[in-house]
Amino acid sequence: MSGWPGRAALAALLAGLGGFGGGLWWLTAEAPDTPEMGLMAASAVETAAPPPLPESVAAALPFAGAIGGSFTLTDHFGDPRSEREPEGRPQLLFFGYATCDAICSVALPRMAETVELIEAAGREVAPIMVTVDPVNDTPEALRAAMPAHHPLMVGLTGSAAALAAAQAAFQVDSELLGETPDGAPIIAHGSFVYLLDADGRLLTLLPPILGPERMAEITLSYL
Amino acid sequence: MKTIGRALAVAVCLSWTVSASAATPERVQITGEIIDTWCYFSGVMGGPDAVVGSAHHTCALWCAAGGIPVGVLADDGTVYMVLKLESEDHVAGGGTIMDLQSDRITADGLLYERDGLKYLVVEEVVSNEGITNPNHEDYGPVPPFAIPDPNKK
Repeated sequence: MSGWPGRAALAALLAGLGGFGGGLWWLTAEAPDTPEMGLMAASAVETAAPPPLPESVAAALPFAGAIGGSFTLTDHFGDPRSEREPEGRPQLLFFGYATCDAICSVALPRMAETVELIEAAGREVAPIMVTVDPVNDTPEALRAAMPAHHPLMVGLTGSAAALAAAQAAFQVDSELLGETPDGAPIIAHGSFVYLLDADGRLLTLLPPILGPERMAEITLSYL
Repeated sequence: MKTIGRALAVAVCLSWTVSASAATPERVQITGEIIDTWCYFSGVMGGPDAVVGSAHHTCALWCAAGGIPVGVLADDGTVYMVLKLESEDHVAGGGTIMDLQSDRITADGLLYERDGLKYLVVEEVVSNEGITNPNHEDYGPVPPFAIPDPNKK
């Protein structure tokens, strides 16, 4: 491969540059410990088991029963929020953070447009972002950031432990890579959108590369 | 070089038609290139021939590190969304993919078809030929800013 510098040479070049646009050092770096935020967790979460999913839905799920689960977080109004949607709507769940200008800047607007398309079809779905940045994404910060994406979008935060549990349930990876020049975190994180029913059970996955029309079409096929 | 036929095959793979879901996964062995699905399907960085191989390797690393799902672009043009990779315990995440990005691999795994998409759970990468598409010779780095200028202040 004449002219190809090779992966090692490329990595060495980039590693010497530093910053998000430069370094690969973070690929092997360990994420720093995240301090607990001490946010109020939900104290009363319904425990009654929801009815089983139709077999046609559940049987075809990749990792059937392995993705998703209960969580206890705090919404951007400071109220407790579990995996169950309070108004009985299906949910589009995404893991991201308020200051993310990478994949979130693609996925969240697509989710918002998907919500609009579903509404135009006469149905409702609740868009939700669970933060991977518990340090900065307080309820107040999320309350300021979420409406910019969609009036119905709800941001969920919580203690580092509660958020880690939610990430584990949905098998979402995240890693603090570094900071922008103005001190904002840069966090790599999984980017699938999860379609959940009103009880918080996984119906299907939506890759963020799908356009809103396709996301809406798939979502509607489950409603 | 890939052809328009490949793009068409991909379009078919991600067609708007919702296919019947497979009730059980199919064990498969897939050979193809690990690709950055965002740049491949969005077209924002160039055509499908340019956003693969050595030309797009650096950008693909950034995208994978940022959480963009990776795929396996098979020789027939089918793109398989990678849900999990070998020992990783996350959905389309983890550091292993960084070692494989842009490589031509043969993977054993489980194929799930859902919503018209093909999802692959890679249980084992049985062979890895490395980066076999030296298309940087035709396109240079795609996009050029993927490799920062070390002299730029």
